[in-house]
Amino acid sequence: MKKKVKIVAGITWAFVCLILIIILFPGLNSFSASTAKLPFMKINPNYTGGEVANQIVAESCTLDIRKPVFDGLFKERKNGFVQLDWRGNLPGKIVDSIDFDHDKKIDFCIFIDRKQLKTTIDQFNKNVKNIIISTPTSYGWSVRVGLRK
Amino acid sequence: MDNTLLSSSLNKSFGKSLLYTLPMFLITFMFMTGGRLNFSDPYSLLATLIAFLLVNILYFMMHYSGKTDRYRVVLFIIFAMSLSFTLIKNMIAIRSSMSFSQADVLECKIPFCHLVIPMMIIPAAFTKSIIFPGSILNGFANISSMVVLWLVATIVLGRGFCSWGCFYGGWDDGFSRIRKRPVIKHINEISRWMPFAVLFMVALTAALTLVPTYCDWICPFKTVTEFEQVTSLESASKAAIFISLFGGLVVVLPILTRKRTQCSFLCPLGAINSLSNKVTPFTVKVDREVCNECFKCVEVCPLYALSREDIRAGKVSIFCSKCGKCVDACTKNAIHYGIKGVPAGHLKNFSRNLFLFVSFLFLAIFSAGAIISSFQSLLKLVF
Ligand code: SF4
Ligand code: SF4
Repeated sequence: MKKKVKIVAGITWAFVCLILIIILFPGLNSFSASTAKLPFMKINPNYTGGEVANQIVAESCTLDIRKPVFDGLFKERKNGFVQLDWRGNLPGKIVDSIDFDHDKKIDFCIFIDRKQLKTTIDQFNKNVKNIIISTPTSYGWSVRVGLRK
Repeated sequence: MDNTLLSSSLNKSFGKSLLYTLPMFLITFMFMTGGRLNFSDPYSLLATLIAFLLVNILYFMMHYSGKTDRYRVVLFIIFAMSLSFTLIKNMIAIRSSMSFSQADVLECKIPFCHLVIPMMIIPAAFTKSIIFPGSILNGFANISSMVVLWLVATIVLGRGFCSWGCFYGGWDDGFSRIRKRPVIKHINEISRWMPFAVLFMVALTAALTLVPTYCDWICPFKTVTEFEQVTSLESASKAAIFISLFGGLVVVLPILTRKRTQCSFLCPLGAINSLSNKVTPFTVKVDREVCNECFKCVEVCPLYALSREDIRAGKVSIFCSKCGKCVDACTKNAIHYGIKGVPAGHLKNFSRNLFLFVSFLFLAIFSAGAIISSFQSLLKLVF
């Protein structure tokens, strides 16, 4: 009796799997869309650069200053970064003063020579470290500046 | 004589094989053509027809000859090569190079592959986010669709994913068939557990650093897909590791051992797929009543999934990828596809037919896009 139940259960499970494979590809778009809605299905800020906290609009371009990212597995890390994204029609040389912590004090000044691919910063906040990334992007230019807590 | 016995038990007449191929024929036609042929682009039409005929001839031959691995591997290797070819071709068209830049990472434009999955589980649980610079839902190889495809395949096929679904496995499977006889014959049994050690290590380091460490530092298949632009000592070291591991574990060792050494000793996803062998209804069974302990199956198994002790105990290990090589090699038809719950030696043909349909359908449809695209490029190159 137990043996028969096992056989029936095994074969039933095999047929369920057959159906799963048959519906997998026609249903892929809708299964993927549902999966994308799961709470953990978003890219970690260490990759996206974090949410935009402040946007500065100039004549031909905008500067997005993102929220500083310190995300770790369980808690915030000691070291992180702030990402800056310039979009639009950028000048050859970019000079901006950044207040990323909104304390109305300049934390650092950034100088980008796009032609020479040269980026430097002057720090006024002891928690501002060095430039981690400075690169042209499809929308303009991005920089990540290292921070400590 | 025994070979004839085997063939007569698994193979089918021409007409019966055609009948068994008919459902595959119809389903693959619908998927590959979308239900109608596109006569406006002759290259695409021809490439689709060639791919369509190829998969259906291979499936027909599996039924007609009674052999599985012999025909499976053809599609599996073509899939691996086509995917690399298509990916590299697309990248060269978009980025003029096989490497991705810092900007591609910042813009989350990196195609996702299933090998990232072992590293994203713990961070997803604790940070509620994915530690990969790809797209969640849009574009080629987005994270959601790749996760769904892998999840369903691993539930349905278990480690069968590694012989019927993975677009990398075809590389070491292919190289392992180059020599007729192995130069290196024995390995320590314990090495079979190495992927679990790698899994533990990469899952832990990825959780601590929130970086997919296997992709970043180890994956040999970066060599045939894409890798970080070499701009520093660190990126140069990574490139050197990728190339050395590809050369060693995917090319040289498979040739010398006739085994899939990358999949046997390194891949962390292979370890997870081995665990899902516990879930799938499909398995490979050993019929002790007819087994004469010739151990041909042990010799040919490309994944070190069989030992003499396993055969004596009448079972295959959790490392089995259901490739069918042992089934093809067994002259007694003692080792065979089975369904869990059904005793060994029973419903051999039914189990094989059902498993072949499920696994081959997945492989045929999953591989279709890459194969058609690479055939199309080759046709354009030649004509
Ligand atoms: S072991 Fe890894 S690389 Fe090999 S086939 Fe399986 S998932 Fe693919
Ligand atoms: S036990 Fe047989 S089916 Fe499983 S991996 Fe080895 S040769 Fe392939």
